[in-house]
Amino acid sequence: MAMNVEVAKCTKCGKLSYPTHFYCPSCHGTKFEPVPVGGEGRLLTWTRVYALPLDYAQLYVTLGIVELDMGVRATGRLEIAEPKTGARVRTHIGKVREINGKDITGLVFTAV
Amino acid sequence: MRDVAIVGVGSTQFGRAQWSLLKMMCEASNDAIVDAGIGERKIDAVYVANMGASRNNRMAGLSSGLVDRMNLYPHTVSETIENGPASGASAIKHGVHSVASGYCDLVLVCGGERMQEVNNFEATEFVSYLSHRYAEYPYGVTLPSLAGMFTRLYMERYGVEARHLAMVAIKNHLNGAKNKKAHLRIPITMEGILTGPDALNNNPWIAEPLRFFDCCPVSDGSSAVLLAPAEMVKEFKKTPVLIAGMGQATDSQAVQDRPDPTELTAVRMAAERAFAMAKLTPKDIDVAELHDAFTILEIVESEECGFFKKGEGHKALERGETQIGGKLPINPSGGLKSRGHPVGNTGVSQIVELVLQLRGEAGDYQVPKQPKHGFAVNFGGFGNNVVATVLKRGV
Amino acid sequence: MSPPVYDWDADEYLTSEEERMIDELEAMLRPPALPMAPYPPKSVLLASGETMVVRQALVEEVDLMLKVIQPLSWVTRDFYDIVSARLFAELLGWKTHRVRDEYCLVGVIDGVLAGIVNGRLFDEKHGVSFHTLTLKRGLRVGSHLFASKMEHHIEYLGQDEVWIVAESPIGHRRWMIEYPLEKKFEVQHELGGAPAWVLTRDTYFKAKSRLVTGTRPVSDELLAKSYPLREPDLRVMLTQIEHTLEARV
Ligand SMILES: CC(C)(COP(=O)(O)OP(=O)(O)OC[C@H]1O[C@@H](n2cnc3c(N)ncnc32)[C@H](O)[C@@H]1OP(=O)(O)O)[C@@H](O)C(=O)NCCC(=O)NCCS
Ligand SMILES: [Zn+2]
Repeated sequence: MAMNVEVAKCTKCGKLSYPTHFYCPSCHGTKFEPVPVGGEGRLLTWTRVYALPLDYAQLYVTLGIVELDMGVRATGRLEIAEPKTGARVRTHIGKVREINGKDITGLVFTAV
Repeated sequence: MRDVAIVGVGSTQFGRAQWSLLKMMCEASNDAIVDAGIGERKIDAVYVANMGASRNNRMAGLSSGLVDRMNLYPHTVSETIENGPASGASAIKHGVHSVASGYCDLVLVCGGERMQEVNNFEATEFVSYLSHRYAEYPYGVTLPSLAGMFTRLYMERYGVEARHLAMVAIKNHLNGAKNKKAHLRIPITMEGILTGPDALNNNPWIAEPLRFFDCCPVSDGSSAVLLAPAEMVKEFKKTPVLIAGMGQATDSQAVQDRPDPTELTAVRMAAERAFAMAKLTPKDIDVAELHDAFTILEIVESEECGFFKKGEGHKALERGETQIGGKLPINPSGGLKSRGHPVGNTGVSQIVELVLQLRGEAGDYQVPKQPKHGFAVNFGGFGNNVVATVLKRGV
Repeated sequence: MSPPVYDWDADEYLTSEEERMIDELEAMLRPPALPMAPYPPKSVLLASGETMVVRQALVEEVDLMLKVIQPLSWVTRDFYDIVSARLFAELLGWKTHRVRDEYCLVGVIDGVLAGIVNGRLFDEKHGVSFHTLTLKRGLRVGSHLFASKMEHHIEYLGQDEVWIVAESPIGHRRWMIEYPLEKKFEVQHELGGAPAWVLTRDTYFKAKSRLVTGTRPVSDELLAKSYPLREPDLRVMLTQIEHTLEARV
């Protein structure tokens, strides 16, 4: 499992944070256990980005911010042809970018 | 603490510079020095604002380079400030602190950026380093994409429409066309960019719902201001402009982490702090330079800074209140949209433009009725580091 | 330059035998030509509110274009130098019948030349895109003209595909990525540089609604305004392209 798709769960108060912070945002604790980002959620907002860095061969990529039922928000790639804000989406882990021939894994959302 | 005033300003042409980064910065600095007429007086400190020299121009420790070229060694204190696109105002803030504390008298703050070394893909990549390293960047999040997602949410919630965004661009291009130093000096029309038959190609998508003319260009340019204690202003030629208040605030690095992602909390807080320090309110402001890297930002910042109620900014725009002749002219210089956005320098250039307005020296784009108070917002990252400044004519 | 000396013997005419000899030799030097459908003019409303007429260039207009292009061959910015030097040669070749099946389209704003695109037919079904030169910047003139060139190949010349290379990063972004084009690296493009990319009928029709715009027919009045072609102000053009810092005071 890639580190960039894990939520930090505070061992003291149970608060989930993603992305992680050194101190727990609610109790200032410093001990966390990793929990995979997953499940379903609601699409908060999205965009199709056309002006991309050089390592992209495609015309655009679709990105969105999702409010996951597990209680955190996450940015990820959308594999949805016509996204709508408020739509239900499901989380997957997949290839999101290739940097110098190396695949980067991350969050991919599909329609429910 | 001493009051601090701006006694000299200078700026190069924005766009594609013919000259090297350091030569541009020397020109802007020299303009500021000549503008102030500092005579035999010595500059005590130099603060340089820049974001990308070590990556894009292969130069580090830029302030030492500037001090060297300007023959200001060995007596000057100098450093380079990198604070993303808010570097410019940050450097001014450092200059203000060192004058206010009595540590220095005459301080030069110079911003400079030269981006033409990198093509547009690289520029996009470089600017996206501002995003969160693992929660945003790997997905291809760029600054325009954060702006696009923010814009969609804002449009849905507050009824802002594509034509409002276009109105910001049209206004700022019209203003910038009058500013000889602006990067893009082409007036544009609603038909041409939105409603006409060829608008889709004239104004293609960059990050939906943002289009080409909703984004600032990538520019080269340098600007400089000279700061001195208010008690010394009589020694200089030009009408002094007081730095009445400065405020700064930071927000979460990842946009998704904000309790309400349509709020630019750092902008609001920075503005409140600047107004509190200046003992003024948004109603006192006669002219503002806001950080319109994306058209939506001009609208939202105008609300967060207290000029209009939340959700009302686009209505004020529609009523023409933010045009040069309006109640509160915003970005008479053309803003980032048309004047250009040399990232690390932008904060300094906003202050230079306001000083010209407050002195009545802005020429073709001068705001009428002798403005007395000016206001600027310099916005770093996607709102994660913001500096606001209140200026006042006279001391 | 020394003053011209009046030469009483300078040939005022050629003898018919001389003319015949030149014609025969010329016929060998001239390539045969495929029939080419005309490009119907269209108008484009630009971001600035100005109207640009896109129409076929006349061979008689080549001299004026050469005059405008030539000073750009010293501008290194965005590879204007190589594009203009090559376009200069291609247009001269068109005028003197040394390039086979070439065509040239121009963008004209208020009678003033704003941009030039050209290309040729490789054979009936395959086209070669040569160059796109923007003289008035910042209004996506180049994008509109490139789109017109693709429109010409696919819709009016009835070709199946067009081979394309970019000589600058801006070109790469505008053509390879914006359309987007496919790689066709087994074809060596005639410009002799990087391997070719291809625009197929399929890619063309997919991109059409987004990139290929313009209004037809062009009224006689508007079309008439695009003749005779006038050159842009050289100083304004060079400043726009190079962004020299002369406005600084
Ligand atoms: C919008 C953007 C993608 C356009 O890039 P592009 O299509 O590759 O444009 P080019 O660099 O090829 O520019 C071609 C011409 O178009 C014009 N142009 C470029 N950007 C423009 C813009 N945003 N608006 C209007 N005209 C623009 C200019 O005239 C330019 O010519 P110039 O360099 O001689 O001035 C790019 O400008 C961009 O990424 N802007 C955002 C930068 C950013 O995020 N900054 C940080 C924000 S804090
Ligand atoms: Zn906790």
